[in-house]
Amino acid sequence: MALALQILASGFAAGAVYGLVGVGHSVVFRLTGVVHFAFGELIALGVFTTLLVAAGSGPVSQTSVGGGRFLIALLIGLVVTAAASAGSYFLAIEPYRARGSTIGWVAASLAVAFTVRTLLVVFFDRPAYVFPDPLPFGVWRLGGATIQQRSLVVAGAALVLAAIGAWLLTRTRFGRALEAIAQDFDAARVVGLPVTRLVGVAFALAGAWAGLAAILAAPSAAFDVDAAARYGLYGLLAAVIVWFEPRRALVVGVAIGLIQATVTSAHVGSSELGPAYRDVIPFVLGLGLLAFRARRTTEAVE
Amino acid sequence: MSALAAFSEAARETRRTWHRRASLATAAFAVAAFAPFVFGDSRLADLAGGLYLAVAATGLAFAVGVGGLPSLAQGAFVAAGAVVSARLLQVGAPTVVAAPLGAVTGAASAALVALLFVRLPRAGLAAATWIVAWLVATALGSLGWFFGGTEGLVVTAGPSPAGHYELALALTALAGVGFAALARSPLGLGLAAARDRQAAAAACGLPVQRLRVTAFAVSGAAAGLAGALGVELAGIGDPSQYGPYLSFKLFVVVLVGGAVAPLGATAGVIVLGILSIAAEAIGSVENVAHARSHALLAAIMLLGVVSLGWDGLVRPVRRRFPLGRQSRTDAPERRGLTARNLIKRYGVVAAVDDVSLTLEAGTVTALVGPNGSGKTTVLRLLADAVRPDAGTIEHDGVARTLQATAVFPTMTALEHLLAAAGPERRHGGLVRSLFATPKARAEEAEFVAAARTSLERAGVPPDTAASDLPVGEQRLLMVLTAAASGATTLLVDEPSAGASPTDAERIVATLAHLRDDGRAILVVEHNLGVVERIADRVVELDGGRIVETS
Repeated sequence: MALALQILASGFAAGAVYGLVGVGHSVVFRLTGVVHFAFGELIALGVFTTLLVAAGSGPVSQTSVGGGRFLIALLIGLVVTAAASAGSYFLAIEPYRARGSTIGWVAASLAVAFTVRTLLVVFFDRPAYVFPDPLPFGVWRLGGATIQQRSLVVAGAALVLAAIGAWLLTRTRFGRALEAIAQDFDAARVVGLPVTRLVGVAFALAGAWAGLAAILAAPSAAFDVDAAARYGLYGLLAAVIVWFEPRRALVVGVAIGLIQATVTSAHVGSSELGPAYRDVIPFVLGLGLLAFRARRTTEAVE
Repeated sequence: MSALAAFSEAARETRRTWHRRASLATAAFAVAAFAPFVFGDSRLADLAGGLYLAVAATGLAFAVGVGGLPSLAQGAFVAAGAVVSARLLQVGAPTVVAAPLGAVTGAASAALVALLFVRLPRAGLAAATWIVAWLVATALGSLGWFFGGTEGLVVTAGPSPAGHYELALALTALAGVGFAALARSPLGLGLAAARDRQAAAAACGLPVQRLRVTAFAVSGAAAGLAGALGVELAGIGDPSQYGPYLSFKLFVVVLVGGAVAPLGATAGVIVLGILSIAAEAIGSVENVAHARSHALLAAIMLLGVVSLGWDGLVRPVRRRFPLGRQSRTDAPERRGLTARNLIKRYGVVAAVDDVSLTLEAGTVTALVGPNGSGKTTVLRLLADAVRPDAGTIEHDGVARTLQATAVFPTMTALEHLLAAAGPERRHGGLVRSLFATPKARAEEAEFVAAARTSLERAGVPPDTAASDLPVGEQRLLMVLTAAASGATTLLVDEPSAGASPTDAERIVATLAHLRDDGRAILVVEHNLGVVERIADRVVELDGGRIVETS
């Protein structure tokens, strides 16, 4: 029971972030038909920009940064992520999307991913970083279970962000315009919607949204570029399994987090899978589900 | 044909299709073979590693360039070959056993990935293969029993660096030749057709999914071979070498060098090699690790290439096909199609309601009716494009043309017909095409001659790119392409739509000729003038039901 509670808390927190990234992937794909392979790296850019502004690139302890400075750093980090996300769309992806060149936009978004990744690795060259935590949380002990309060805060914050995102997409003029674009890109342009600008804003918001969740989660453990890339990848896995349906992507993201936590901690009798399988099993299960979906797919569009 | 005569015929054909770029490439490879007399072991090992990368990249170029498949898991297939080879070498297997088995493993793993995911839209395929690349990289690093964990697998030394270099050079040349041979084979032409317009390719009867699985397998075989030999060259199977960056790097070299030219990937590797030297220099000045600056330069280079809309360093040479002296007889056996009691509903709407139809061999049946009467749905049912809710269809092969003008824009008219005729070839399989056997070449010449005759009879220039033809000729080409598939029944959707009166006449004449060849033809057509001139029988449809037959 205690173990189950721990798995639930830690898995839900990580999964909520994956889910939010999955929602970002879904929104971007529904609008443009593009898979944004650089999403994880753009999240890393936001996290490391926040870290740089808050504490510089030198050693940092979790408690060495004050709340005010962290808030400014957070704001700058989000602005940089949003700008980079929108910029990558306008400069690299949109020209190929407009031409219908899948190979082109795949290459462009991968190129953005590796450019950001290698730039970050050049400037932040230590294997992993401790992220400052302006609001240090403690732990709750609940019947033998040790639950990090941060886990619940991250999960809660991610769900609130998802709810705000859902409200934005369904209840506002901006959201209705995006839905029109998702239904028919060209028709939306014909009726006078500023399609390119709106899609750029959506790219920016999707990046900033997922970046915010990742920044909230970053103090939970040592952070590096690979960790952010995995946020992007798990978000993609969650989104592609449900073929980019935002609400379901959120649910699948949470499920991936719970599976990871279970694989890491659970014992079956005397045997356990352990952390070595933490990434392998969700990937295998996710690909299995995707293969099942592929069997029912017929692409032949006339 | 004696062996000597076969060789002399092959030499004549090679001479006829030879071009200046082939001379340059041959000279370059000949000069490169002397590198062991110039460079030491360390530099030769680097060069051999680069050439193995070129082999893997050439395989990827076949999938990406010819097939239009955004495969991002090529690094994983390299790893598959490396794992098997490393394990075999550890138990004392010689290179001649380990390397081919590495290639087979690469081919099998790529075929498996394709079988699982190739039906997805291309965006989904890219996402799935990227996740596969991460899965394999993660498994290699974290599962010690799989690949030795973070320490990797140490393997016994095989050939010397010079031996590896010569082997890698020969394999790179063979990969280029193989690419060229397969690109013009039924497999390559079918893949190119499906790349340009999947629905139109499927409508001609091309087995699109099977062709794509084969393309992945070919691509994986090259990757597996490169991985198997690369691990022996390095002396260690290091999991960190097979991360997603390898897949990315292979994708970069393919796009930078040119995805549709046989030596494009090799050119890309050379560019990357030059960049690597620059990266070393920059890294030493800026005190940045070489691997990091190298990755950054590769990413920036790709960004530059894609931002400028560049098609790559090496452009393809227009393929030349043999002239062919003896045309094959392409008249099919006289069989038709019988459909009984077909029903197709979409929700509460019955698009087709109890339709029975017989298409006799050597006749043209016109299907007419107002918009929304169910004509195209009947056509799609007969072509097996959608499954009926009830009813049966019997036929011996159906090909269809689409309502929209749907040619393959990057292919010539001749290539259209050869692509569609691919499944008809008895000696045009992967291995025969790769080795250009006498039977494969003789058969190709026959098919080329038949295709030229068919095009010239209809007045369509064979060697013109389809996108350069006027709309009327494009629609004519669609009919000829469907007919070239060898199907006994042709379903032709609005053949004269968008065509001028003169082109409509040519389409009528072509359909009449195909009917006289013994084909059963169903034409859906709004132009009643065309219907009057061509139809032996008219079937009128309304509300999904046959209301009159005359």
